[in-house]
Amino acid sequence: MISEDRKVPPLLKFGGLILLALIGAAVGAATARFVDASAMPGDDALNLFVGVVLIGMGVVMGGVFALRPIDIPKGCGMLQILVLTLAGIMLIVPIYGPNWVSAEVSLAIVLGLLAIQTVANVTMFRQADEMLRRVMVETGSLAFWTLQLALFVYAASERLGLVEGITAWGMIGILMAVYMVASAVAGARRGLK
Amino acid sequence: MNNRLKVLRAERNWSQAELADRLGVSRQTVNALETGRYDPSLPLAFKIARVFEQPIESIFLED
Repeated sequence: MISEDRKVPPLLKFGGLILLALIGAAVGAATARFVDASAMPGDDALNLFVGVVLIGMGVVMGGVFALRPIDIPKGCGMLQILVLTLAGIMLIVPIYGPNWVSAEVSLAIVLGLLAIQTVANVTMFRQADEMLRRVMVETGSLAFWTLQLALFVYAASERLGLVEGITAWGMIGILMAVYMVASAVAGARRGLK
Repeated sequence: MNNRLKVLRAERNWSQAELADRLGVSRQTVNALETGRYDPSLPLAFKIARVFEQPIESIFLED
């Protein structure tokens, strides 16, 4: 029979899930060891969390790709790894960058990374086939509608004095978190793992 | 929409990667097509019909 049709044995699948859970636990424990999130503003903590998750996903994807047989086409995978990792770094640089360099240099680093990431994103969209493009479009739509709804409710609540204001930095953390979930949902609908 | 992609591919003993290569799409797309998770665009449907040398309506069936 054809190799791709072979079902992954449940034990192997379970083992893979355990391995991913262990990697997640290790990354979480390492982050908690070196970062005191309780002493951080909420928006910084959120962006740090999303940034670490994105970099973690990039590293796991990189590992998966490195272990794949060489005859399996890599597709847009390398670009996805680059985009994920850069997005994670861009969320962390504004938090820790000023500890080592000035705010201006930190921003310049973010802008440089953003330029590279934008090129990678556009290249990925151009290289992707029609279904992967559809997933990207659906991710954007789902994230937009979710965030629009949330923003409207929040803005109305803020205008009514029921909630406090939120920083743009906090908003980008929420946006990235929602985008990650939307991406997982859109991908899962098409059977992407 | 249902389709007979998996059967047609198996008849030719092609792997998903092989079919993907012939169609110019990713293996994930072939998998999504076969499992009914994705309906192809009209150009891709025509390409599939050409690759299998069958009319579109004999490959894709209405629910």
